[in-house]
Amino acid sequence: MIFSLCLLCGFGVLLTPRVQSADREFSRALVALSHGLVLACGGHASRDRAVLRAPGGFAIEMRDGCNAVNVTILLWSAILAFPAPWRMRMFGLLAGSAILQSLNIVRFVSLYYLGQYSMAWFDFAHGYLWESLLVLDTMVVFWLWVNRVARIGADHHAGA
Amino acid sequence: MPALETHARFLLRASALLIGLLILWWFVLASPMLYLLKEAAGNFVDIRENPSGDWTLRVPLDATLAATNGRHVPQPVHWVDFDIARTDVNGFTFSLPVYWAIILAAGARRSLRPLLLGTALISAFELASLLVFCQITARGAVARLAGNQDASAKWIRDFGQYLVVNALPYIVPFVVALSLHRGLRGAIFPWGHEPEAAVPSPRRQKKKKGRRIASLHRPERSL
Repeated sequence: MIFSLCLLCGFGVLLTPRVQSADREFSRALVALSHGLVLACGGHASRDRAVLRAPGGFAIEMRDGCNAVNVTILLWSAILAFPAPWRMRMFGLLAGSAILQSLNIVRFVSLYYLGQYSMAWFDFAHGYLWESLLVLDTMVVFWLWVNRVARIGADHHAGA
Repeated sequence: MPALETHARFLLRASALLIGLLILWWFVLASPMLYLLKEAAGNFVDIRENPSGDWTLRVPLDATLAATNGRHVPQPVHWVDFDIARTDVNGFTFSLPVYWAIILAAGARRSLRPLLLGTALISAFELASLLVFCQITARGAVARLAGNQDASAKWIRDFGQYLVVNALPYIVPFVVALSLHRGLRGAIFPWGHEPEAAVPSPRRQKKKKGRRIASLHRPERSL
């Protein structure tokens, strides 16, 4: 119940104009990071705000939903709904978000290269595969966090 | 680190199954699934498939467009027609392979019942999502024709569309899998298996002394 409420509130807030504007800025920052990563690894790309452009003409734009904010909201809702000490919750929110955003950078860069190879595979990977994998990763990150919460709780009990 | 091994094993297995089943769906299963979805949804809305594979939907909707400067008399609306690309309709069928991948990754033991029951539930969800999407799109079209600038109504439509297109198809398979597969649920939420051990949360314990969280000492059976 709390999970569903947090999830709906999170998605609802995400669609408000003010948050949408912040969301776009966040996407631009992620694209800048991805651009830096591509250049650092010896690749070629140019960046125009939230668009990463390949020398061959292919370009990919990070829009709403492509910046992993939706799966971050999913993880936050699960963590907030789970009864745990606030210190552990904060740890889960921060560490989990960092993991998901890192994975999303990998996703974005992989889509950048996949799109140059085949648009059909790009559509498949972009629309279905990567999105499902990110939700799966969110579930596993949450699972790891729950284990950690339970282990620390058990250690605390054993020490008491 | 047995726990980490369990997680890693599940993640690898589920990822491999997701990739395999989604590729199978993309190349083989999508067309028959779309056919079944069209037949089921045809009981509620009129659907015609174009030669390109795109769908034309006729959604029954009773509304009246009020008289304005450009429309001298009120105009009744009985249905709304709109097209939806085949690639977009595909989005209403892909939750099933995702669900199968999670259930199969969770272990073959005792998976038949959740597999069948979940398949029925996800199929019903996909049909309901398509119908909700049709209603939202049709009402949005009528609101635009009527020149309705109500921001809150538009936000509700956008929110509903976001949920049925961008959020729920990805999340629901995982929620249903966790609800139906006892082994998976027991592994992630261990309190049902071992109610003694607890995580101390000082504030919560002050409020509710009896509420406790179990630890994950018991190894996951099916994972």
